[in-house]
Amino acid sequence: MVSSCLSNKRYTYIHENENEPTRGAIDIHHVIINGSRATGYARLRWLAFFLVGLAILLGKDNPVRTLSWSCLLSGFFVMIQSRKFVKKESVIIMPTFGIQLQTQYLSGKTVSRFIPIGKILKPVLVECVTPVTCYWSLSLFLRGEEQLTLVFKELRPSLKMLVPIWKALCAVSGTDQREMMTEEEHVVAVECKEYNELYQQMWCQPNYYTSKDKIYSVTKSSKLK
Amino acid sequence: MAEPKLRVLMVSDFFFPNFGGVENHIYYLSQCLLNLGHKVVVMTHAYGNRTGVRYMTGGLKVYYVPWRPFTMQNTFPTVYGTLPIVRTILKRERITVVHGHQAFSTLCHEALMHARTMGYRVVFTDHSLYGFADVGSIHMNKVLQFTLADIDQAICVSHTSKENTVLRSGLAPGKVFMIPNAVDTAMFKPADVRPSSDDVITIVVISRLVYRKGADLLVEVIPEVCRLYPNVRFVVGGDGPKHVRLEEMREKHSLQDRVEMLGAVPHSRVRSVLVTGHIFLNSSLTEAFCIAILEAASCGLLTVSTRVGGVLPDDMVVLAEPDPDDMVRAIEKAISILPSINPEEMHNRMKKLYSWQDVAKRTEIVYDRALKCSNRNLLERLSRFLSCGAWAGKVFCMVMIIDYLLWRLLQLLQPDDDIEEAPDINFCN
Repeated sequence: MVSSCLSNKRYTYIHENENEPTRGAIDIHHVIINGSRATGYARLRWLAFFLVGLAILLGKDNPVRTLSWSCLLSGFFVMIQSRKFVKKESVIIMPTFGIQLQTQYLSGKTVSRFIPIGKILKPVLVECVTPVTCYWSLSLFLRGEEQLTLVFKELRPSLKMLVPIWKALCAVSGTDQREMMTEEEHVVAVECKEYNELYQQMWCQPNYYTSKDKIYSVTKSSKLK
Repeated sequence: MAEPKLRVLMVSDFFFPNFGGVENHIYYLSQCLLNLGHKVVVMTHAYGNRTGVRYMTGGLKVYYVPWRPFTMQNTFPTVYGTLPIVRTILKRERITVVHGHQAFSTLCHEALMHARTMGYRVVFTDHSLYGFADVGSIHMNKVLQFTLADIDQAICVSHTSKENTVLRSGLAPGKVFMIPNAVDTAMFKPADVRPSSDDVITIVVISRLVYRKGADLLVEVIPEVCRLYPNVRFVVGGDGPKHVRLEEMREKHSLQDRVEMLGAVPHSRVRSVLVTGHIFLNSSLTEAFCIAILEAASCGLLTVSTRVGGVLPDDMVVLAEPDPDDMVRAIEKAISILPSINPEEMHNRMKKLYSWQDVAKRTEIVYDRALKCSNRNLLERLSRFLSCGAWAGKVFCMVMIIDYLLWRLLQLLQPDDDIEEAPDINFCN
């Protein structure tokens, strides 16, 4: 049952929850790109037409052969590129069990990753700074991993959409949200030794990268030494 | 937390973890402005691995933008490359005033240009003196002329600096405010027990041993003073190319037991070196604002100095020309008035005269004045640039027109509504 829905120009956020939320109920959060099918395929169609036109111009000697080859190649190119178009990313929260991060592509392919509850140390909202822009992202500190794990790998939903998901993740991982925002000494509370070490490692060398994307920063509060 | 009165963006290539006068100035000024209830955000380039957003004491938000520095800690000048990130930060933090620091910072010039294009109020602070004759200075002065042609208000740290800036940039003197730097009097306190000046008088010198800081003068002055006063010893802290000359001087006059060379002294240890002395000697040939003499006065030392910018009250300093004989005369005078000096009283006077809270209040007045300036449209602003020079004026106009067009293009590609505002995080205890 859809318990809340937020929408802006680019993304729609849908929160699915059980009718009567009982302890142990599964919580699902979706972020869907608006009109991705139309814009994605439209861009590729124009690119394909452009390539075909270019091929015809260049191969004037044997237009039929050039046309058939160019159609074949541009069709192949469209097929390859369309596999990268994301339709929806979801977070399925199963309390005491774990969370599942899912990415659904336009081609129908779905990539999932399951993270057991014991592996999650803390979910954090991160301000990422790139050379041209700055955006919010939701990441997880995981036990035994040096890099932060992005919850939404391809999409960049707004902070308003990320906050309820972050709160749900905090609830399931046992993080006290109040500790995250008000103290001057540390943004994140120190709960276990392993987390402490990971925290020290990351905060001392804040240039961390995930497997695909570049995350440049973390929001933190600390006294400058 | 109440809505902040002003939202200021400090822009400079020079900020912590790099250490220096400009960095200190930005940090202390920002902390005092935060205490006054304003919101301050600092923007600088990435330092090695330090990139992204960090929060410092008091909730000071620092953006380390991942643009690599290319020479002398300056970001590579791409003219329009920083427009997207500057626009994003200005919109995210809902900035009202942009405050750039240091004429030598390329990031500062670019950010001020973009901020003016987008219609924000802009203030600039110049911290150093520059020449007029060499190639580097000529180009730097032209860039400064471009930036300051369209500025709302400017701040200089001393009257010397104000004259220098006005001459270099052709800015109207009425637009330039003089707000001196301050010193952290809480950190620079006199020793609990003052070293006795009956037997040995200690003269402390702490500076980089380079030509501009008058290291050559020291080489002449020290042996002469040691000859005239057998009870005087010198403590020299700092390092640089002229270190060798000082060592040679020590060898030549056999002053190893009377001249102690400490090498480079980290800033955190400067106070502990200062409190071992009675007199502080500054031989800089030129300085926009000499914070070193303020630190020494705050520690209760009598100062002997050349006529540099940022001078202390007459009874705390003995001035001299940058000539060895005149400096020796000044040191003689200082030694004679030394018994009448009370370090605690000097420190208390420094607390009242030079405090960062005072600097912040005066800067607030400059911001208010800047906000009252009327917002001119593009055509009126272009007319200001044309007066910069026959060719230069036209080049500047072209640069601003292209910047304006790029800004409009960015607004089409990423409308202002798409940039999400960052929440103000309250760090009060």
